[in-house]
Amino acid sequence: MSASFKDNLLDLLEGKIDFEGQRQVENIAKFALIAAAVFSFIVGVLFQSLSVTFGIFGVAAFVLLLVVLPPWPMYNRHPVTWLPAKESQPPS
Amino acid sequence: MHTIFSRVNNVSAFLSSCLMSLVLAVAIASALYHTYQTPPAAGVVVNSIKVLPGKGRYLRKYRSRQQQEFAFVNFNLTADLSPLFHWNTKQLFLYVSAEYTDQQGTANEVVIWDRIVRRKEDANISSTFKNKYHLKDMSTTFRNAPPAHYTLKYNLMPYVGLLAWGEAARTSEPIPFPEPHQLA
Repeated sequence: MSASFKDNLLDLLEGKIDFEGQRQVENIAKFALIAAAVFSFIVGVLFQSLSVTFGIFGVAAFVLLLVVLPPWPMYNRHPVTWLPAKESQPPS
Repeated sequence: MHTIFSRVNNVSAFLSSCLMSLVLAVAIASALYHTYQTPPAAGVVVNSIKVLPGKGRYLRKYRSRQQQEFAFVNFNLTADLSPLFHWNTKQLFLYVSAEYTDQQGTANEVVIWDRIVRRKEDANISSTFKNKYHLKDMSTTFRNAPPAHYTLKYNLMPYVGLLAWGEAARTSEPIPFPEPHQLA
């Protein structure tokens, strides 16, 4: 009982995702960070305010971390399918 | 990327690269803006200059303070420096300096007045000022000093990027130092 609770907690903290999820996370983070930098620069120029620029970038980065860091179920939709276990050979 | 910790590592590494590029873009943009903007409109007019004798620094050899002439300048400043306040301007440092090249060929530049402007609303200056700091010559007298130009210069301090210097105004002709007043 206590061992399985500990295992669950460790799994949650480790937050494993599958290979497809890793690719998704990488693409999301790359796109979102570049878009946030460009967008915040343009809006900052329009509003003539550096606090707008870095505010937008900071909020975008925070939202990105929320989207990307926890092991959301969408990153675990392609579990690795292993081959069926072979019957063990009887010792010759 | 498969555990939370490796995702933190990956995302924060790219995040810091993006942040640095953003900062660099802001710095380059404001440097370009400063290079290509029209210079601010300003003027310096010297109303009067007086030279008075006084006591300068203490000399141990003579156990007394040196005889020293001080110049007192009364000048008008008219400047609209609000175009210098763009999105990356933290504050402006304004200073008025007297510039003259003496007979030995040494270029003198003496700051006689300064002001820190923090807000765009305070960047419009039109008033009469006196020198805040002593204007005195290295030779202790202005008798051999040639006429001096008075300039209004600024130092633009940005939030991000490099400091920028500029000259906003300069007297149209050099103004001679008068004969010292004799104190009765």
